[in-house]
Amino acid sequence: MIKLENISFDHCIKCTVCTIYCPVARVTHLYPGPKQSGPDTERLRIKNPELLDISLKYCSNCKRCEIACPSDVKIADIIQTAKWRYSKKEFRIRDFLLSRTDLMGTFGTLFAPVVNFFTHLGIVKYFLDLVFKIPKGRTFPNYASMTFKKWFKETRKYQNKYLEKVVYFHGCYVNYNYPQLGKDVVKVLNALGKGVIITKEKCCGVPLIANGYIKKAQEHGRHNIKVLSKALPDEKTKIVSASSSCSLALKHEYANLLELDNSPIAHNIAYITQYVLEEFENGNIPKLKPLTYTVAYHSPCHLERMGNVAFTIELLRKIPGLTVKILHSECCGISGTYGFKNEYYAISQAVGNELFKIIEEANPDFVVTDCETCKWQIEMNTKYRVVHPISLLAEAIE
Amino acid sequence: MKFDCIIIGGGISGLTAGIRCAKEGLHTAIISSGMSALHFSSGSIDVLGYLDNTVVYKPFEALDTLTGTIAQHPYTKCGKPLIIEALQFFKQECETQNVYLFDNENLNHFHVTALGTLKPTYFSQRSVFNEDVYNRFKRMKKIVIINFEGYRDFHPQLAAAQLSKHALFANCEIVAKSIEMPQIQNLSRHPHEFRSIDIARIFEDEEYVYKIADAIRLAADGADFVVIPAFMGIHNFNQIHNIIQSRTRLLVYEVPTLPPSILGLRIDNALKSRFAQLGGVFVAGDKVVRAEIKDDVVQAVYTANHPENPLEAKFYILSTGSFFSGGMVSEFDNMYEPVFKLKLHFEPQRNKWYSPQFFYSHSHPFLEYGVVTDENLRPYDSKNNIIQNLYCSGAILAHYNPIREGCGSGVAISTAYKAANQIVSLYKLMR
Repeated sequence: MIKLENISFDHCIKCTVCTIYCPVARVTHLYPGPKQSGPDTERLRIKNPELLDISLKYCSNCKRCEIACPSDVKIADIIQTAKWRYSKKEFRIRDFLLSRTDLMGTFGTLFAPVVNFFTHLGIVKYFLDLVFKIPKGRTFPNYASMTFKKWFKETRKYQNKYLEKVVYFHGCYVNYNYPQLGKDVVKVLNALGKGVIITKEKCCGVPLIANGYIKKAQEHGRHNIKVLSKALPDEKTKIVSASSSCSLALKHEYANLLELDNSPIAHNIAYITQYVLEEFENGNIPKLKPLTYTVAYHSPCHLERMGNVAFTIELLRKIPGLTVKILHSECCGISGTYGFKNEYYAISQAVGNELFKIIEEANPDFVVTDCETCKWQIEMNTKYRVVHPISLLAEAIE
Repeated sequence: MKFDCIIIGGGISGLTAGIRCAKEGLHTAIISSGMSALHFSSGSIDVLGYLDNTVVYKPFEALDTLTGTIAQHPYTKCGKPLIIEALQFFKQECETQNVYLFDNENLNHFHVTALGTLKPTYFSQRSVFNEDVYNRFKRMKKIVIINFEGYRDFHPQLAAAQLSKHALFANCEIVAKSIEMPQIQNLSRHPHEFRSIDIARIFEDEEYVYKIADAIRLAADGADFVVIPAFMGIHNFNQIHNIIQSRTRLLVYEVPTLPPSILGLRIDNALKSRFAQLGGVFVAGDKVVRAEIKDDVVQAVYTANHPENPLEAKFYILSTGSFFSGGMVSEFDNMYEPVFKLKLHFEPQRNKWYSPQFFYSHSHPFLEYGVVTDENLRPYDSKNNIIQNLYCSGAILAHYNPIREGCGSGVAISTAYKAANQIVSLYKLMR
């Protein structure tokens, strides 16, 4: 039976506008483009799963097709769902490990100096390439020796002093790889007079979805909806995240893709720059010192999809002294775990080339972006350092 | 978020208004849901192509007749001096992004469609019409229409057959040819899977563009004109056009293809990058779903992605287009404007909305339906009160027929310019 609510593919008028804006179709003929992989072949697949055209695996789920579509077809959702619903499941240790960010993070932080040393060794990379099909050209993010959660234990008692609270969904990257961003978020929220609450969250599920572990993603989703809604002291309290992809998952993917009821939290979720900007506009502005940098701002695909880019840009413009060059919106190519796989690595790099070129042309002091995987990709491929907008704001707060 | 001006709709009209406002220093945002009709357009700008079912050659003379007879026509509300100023503004803004529009010294010219029909228009990109095309036209003997083997969205034989029926081409030989796509590395797909965008990207590649030029030269030997589907690049189109013309030593002319239209895409890119250059904020992929109005003044608008976060501005422009773009919604026996519930002009009986024949020369009545405004383009709400800080522009306006009059983009640009002009002067008064 076809579910009536899932027939958005029928609204496709075959205009092919999505294919213009698909970064993967731009660089490879192996991928026929979102129109063909999504709405065109969906009508075949629902009749007979045998008619699955395997070329849809090249979709990186950047969702730029959905932004472009004039007819409101959920193209990327159709392709993602088809990937796990119709394609043959085969177990791959690599995909298993790449998608288990909690497991890898716990291990990685425990032995951080050793793990970081080994993942940067040429011989190890060669081995990973050979055995796990993880491209040897790819650099790995470092693990932190102390998790954000552990650090937060120290500050928890100070957070209770604030009358108003914000729930912070920090995500795996902040917890295991880059606790500094979490510390910056806490500093900014405290400067706005808000105490921070964190929960026993699990990975948002984005890497699980990307690697086809839908049941596991649903399990995480249910858990997160439960702990986050429980942590809310009242209806008006916000749940903020500083990762564009985690926010997209909590707000959209849980309901649209995983078919979970996220209504207990959906109205409370705000991407961090939106929350902070609204506080600023209501007059709650901490004292900011001028930052005399010239930065280039790159808008991540999933932030674009949420319609949140404008909030980040407006917030950056509120930092005195800062010169912001807005880069033409292009996908960086990494798309989470996509760029960590041999079979997509060349595509991922070719997609990013356009962006790397315009970053070089802009020649900023450094690049600003909201997404952790964009950060890895840009730092690996250009000479520029990449900073989160909230870290920049934290620097401006005295 | 707070702005000076929020424009709802990111098509040709919204972008023109946005550029005008941002250029005058207003903090401007455009909210756009999905890519605009420019992606389906010819990429030429029509001002007034037909009047009383005859082709118009002198659009500004015909404009006097039109504005003298239809009092409610958006052109009448704009007035000729403003229309001329708006068109010049649009041309200059496109030039800042290297899109050069050719006007035939205030006369209309024809562009050829993919089916080989001729359409009167006012501005065309230089690869579609220019001085050389104009001069060569009088002494042409042979036209070669070329397609790429396998490309499904253009049929040169059909275009040739249709074109040769036209009196202008009576003494001219028109030949249809096709050339092979150059060998592309890793090409695992059949050429018939290619759309205009895929082939335009091949043109952008220096490795192939010379090979394509050589193939065109071989196929089109001795032609006065070579007609190809509009593939000559998305970003470097001026350079690619030059390369192909100088290498073939032929006059190569582009015709707009079926969607996606590369000619329209160039205009869309140019307007968007100009708007961004002027500091404008373009929100893509979000839809304004409702507005808050108090004492006939719009206080805020809300979007689908952020239903609880107000977007506030001093002024608003509604450029959401007609039915296809979602500017208006038709139900079985009703029509409405979804954001502000504005007063619309339409016939209540459904059977009067359309003509019985699809290609009827007087076109369909529903194309004339739309928002009713005062002479300043401010709309009325359902209680017949004027909304003070809201202006309407482009295809959402009533009382004109873009198909019958051949004036869609001209109205979009002129009304956007007029709306923005009023906002700019009020904004300056307020400061």
